[in-house]
Amino acid sequence: MSTRTPNRPTTKKPVQNSANRRRDSAPGNRSAWLRHHRDCASQSLMRLLRSPVSSALTWLVIAISLTLPTLFYLALSSLQAQTEQWQEGGQITLYLEQGLPDSDGDRLTRELDARPEVARAYYISADEAWTSFQETLSINRQALGFTDNPLPASIVVVPSQQNSSQLEALQLIIRGLPEVEDVQLDLAWIDRLNRFLELIYSIVTGLAVLLGVAVLLVVGNTIRLAIESRKDEIRVIKLLGATEAFVRRPFVYLGIWYGLLGGVAAWILVTAVAWWLRSPLTAFLSTYGLEANVAWLGFTDTLVLILASIGVSLAGAHIALQRHLKDAEPR
Amino acid sequence: MIHFDQVSKRYEGGHEALSSISLHIEKGEMVFLTGHSGAGKSTLLKLITRIEKASSGQLRVNGQILNRLRRSQIPHFRRNLGIVHQDHQLLMDQTVYDNVALPLIIAGEHPKDVTRRVRAALDKVGLLEREEYRPIQLSGGEQQRVGIARAVVKKPAILLADEPTGNLDPGLSRDIMELFSEFNRVGTTVLIASHDLGLIARLNYRVASLQDGKLMSTPFEGRRT
Repeated sequence: MSTRTPNRPTTKKPVQNSANRRRDSAPGNRSAWLRHHRDCASQSLMRLLRSPVSSALTWLVIAISLTLPTLFYLALSSLQAQTEQWQEGGQITLYLEQGLPDSDGDRLTRELDARPEVARAYYISADEAWTSFQETLSINRQALGFTDNPLPASIVVVPSQQNSSQLEALQLIIRGLPEVEDVQLDLAWIDRLNRFLELIYSIVTGLAVLLGVAVLLVVGNTIRLAIESRKDEIRVIKLLGATEAFVRRPFVYLGIWYGLLGGVAAWILVTAVAWWLRSPLTAFLSTYGLEANVAWLGFTDTLVLILASIGVSLAGAHIALQRHLKDAEPR
Repeated sequence: MIHFDQVSKRYEGGHEALSSISLHIEKGEMVFLTGHSGAGKSTLLKLITRIEKASSGQLRVNGQILNRLRRSQIPHFRRNLGIVHQDHQLLMDQTVYDNVALPLIIAGEHPKDVTRRVRAALDKVGLLEREEYRPIQLSGGEQQRVGIARAVVKKPAILLADEPTGNLDPGLSRDIMELFSEFNRVGTTVLIASHDLGLIARLNYRVASLQDGKLMSTPFEGRRT
């Protein structure tokens, strides 16, 4: 055996102990902490990449679970963008008293336009109405047997808020105006559409929550297996004085990596599906005379998707650590 | 350094592994702990490393009363202990260097110091040229020496060993014990659990003997350096 003669002082001195103390209380703990974070981050990623197939199973499940609600969300926001165009149809037409001067009509229009619940209001004078009526029918007033213009002036009001109670309030105000002879509204279908969208939104939210729980469970199970396979190592390092945070750190980073990979993969899947559906959707909508408005995930949406993925994965990792780390106490 | 005062340990179900142990090991002492398997040697070591908690009595190690130690204080307390296991407990997927570096990494030592101190520890156990090997590529005796290097790399105040020569032949066992003596000579308090009575007798240190959870002989004062 090649044991070399160590340094042997003749008198016993507590040299090591004081040196030890000094080192423990030395500054630079923060840099050690940062160093360990950096090391854990890179080592967890290496571990993950060293078994690409089994880790891919986990982040693909995350990706698919996130893709479904994200696609629904995308469809919903496309639909909402579409209905904003349609809400032109949700307008209120105010027929003014016969013979009301155009200046009064203009003033009233400006007043209505200034109201917060009104997106837009425009004035159609009696003459304009009459001209457009004749143009539509391609005949002139003599042929109709009218000498005077029988049509009243009108104001078209496009409400800004489409919440049904607010619409009703606006309607009451308009009916109370003295210059208004009659009001015609076309709001019931808007109301129905909004209720339908609310229903879809609830379904998507429910689905997102369910699939979020699925991600939580998948990551939790993956981290549990990782803890299980490194149980002996955890026992050893705990006995060597590792703190709870030190032991948890590599697994927390594993969760972050799974979340990040799953989130990025989900973004790719969503974008691919949206691209895939774009031309059939355009073709379908054009048969209704509608312009396809396929939404893409914007920067904020992408960020939210990836952060949500990381957040849920982190939560899964924490649950697994909470439940299974205590099985790895030194024996 | 290690003070047992009327310490008992009862496990759930009523089995009393240690009863009323009083044992005082002074700073810089080297003591052997003997007894048949099941006599309570491992339990006694587990109390010192705070893997187990005493049921009654007071245990003071390195100035700290272990029963009053909070959970969050345990890791920091353990950093002052060097522990050698019978089955060395090395991480098989890491190199010898990484294994020995582990206590320093856990304590957050600077990488520059880590390299220097790991080399010093490996040099001391004669395995400097093996630092890039995996434990699996080493012999049993060499693995145990890596375990010892890991235990002493942080220059702990107390070195504990549980049957460190249990799996080794007599020649290697003597070398390992000589290594412990060397650490003791530079001031480390050493407690070794072993049932190798022949080897212990030749070494002439104080011996504490356990039988059925009781401390039998009043241990004589052994050679002190």
